[in-house]
Amino acid sequence: MKKTILTSLLIAGSLVAGSLTANKRGVAPVSDSFYMKECASCHFAYQPGLLPSRSWEKLMGNLSNHFSTDASLEPADNKIILNYLIKNSAENSTDYKRSKKINDSIPKNETPISLTETKYFIKEHRGIPSRLIEQKEVKSLANCMACHTTADTGSYSERAIKIPNYGKWED
Amino acid sequence: MKKILLASLIAISFIQAKELNPSMQGFMNDLSVEAKKQNPNIQGFDYARGEVIFTTKQIGKKGNPISCVSCHTNDLSQNGLNEHTNKVIEPLSPFANPKRFTDVKEVKKWLRRNFKDVYNREGTALEQGDVITYIINKK
Repeated sequence: MKKTILTSLLIAGSLVAGSLTANKRGVAPVSDSFYMKECASCHFAYQPGLLPSRSWEKLMGNLSNHFSTDASLEPADNKIILNYLIKNSAENSTDYKRSKKINDSIPKNETPISLTETKYFIKEHRGIPSRLIEQKEVKSLANCMACHTTADTGSYSERAIKIPNYGKWED
Repeated sequence: MKKILLASLIAISFIQAKELNPSMQGFMNDLSVEAKKQNPNIQGFDYARGEVIFTTKQIGKKGNPISCVSCHTNDLSQNGLNEHTNKVIEPLSPFANPKRFTDVKEVKKWLRRNFKDVYNREGTALEQGDVITYIINKK
């Protein structure tokens, strides 16, 4: 009986520890409701830890031409959001494995405005047939939630990948 | 008979005035003043002109034909879909989505952005008033 309890405790303990570690494995989840309102009304709420500060500065400096769309904000609102992005940017969240890997993969003299341009992202998404990306359920690699079913929690683990009209993805 | 007609007209104008909250009504009045300044012959905002603005395809900011319908669909009581990001857009019609057209700041932001995306320029005061008139009245 004691053994059973001990084993259960050990399993429970490792599960808790495991989930904490898994959390650090991804990126920090979005925590700002104003960011959610202003940015996620049009697209997936990309976590600030997916790009370095200099990228967020460049992107927020040109919202009137945001991937060929006008996403302009009033200057005061732009500043509030940029501050949030910088505070939680990739190089400021290196305790999260993916933030660190993304940040490390960007050469110091480059300022990508899209995660999809970074070496780490390209490496992780190589080998996916273009028909699976271009299909209407996905449309582009920028549509994280189409396949990463837990992307909104900051977890991009392989186990949670489910590609529409394909299923699980194993590298 | 005249009395009934008068009463109905008052009732209709009252219903229309009730559709927008005071701050939105103020915004519509500002647009109206501005539109008349630009063209003194303007009689007021027009649903039919608004419909043309909303449904006509233009070469938009991305260089492809696009209209408001491309994302919001023709049924404003239903969800739309951002055709670039696949994100669901809540219904535009205040009949289906009472939050719509209640916050002047939001309305100004979206008019500015969406005119730029579809028409590659900001809407005039008349165009903005017309298209709002169309959207808030379309059933």
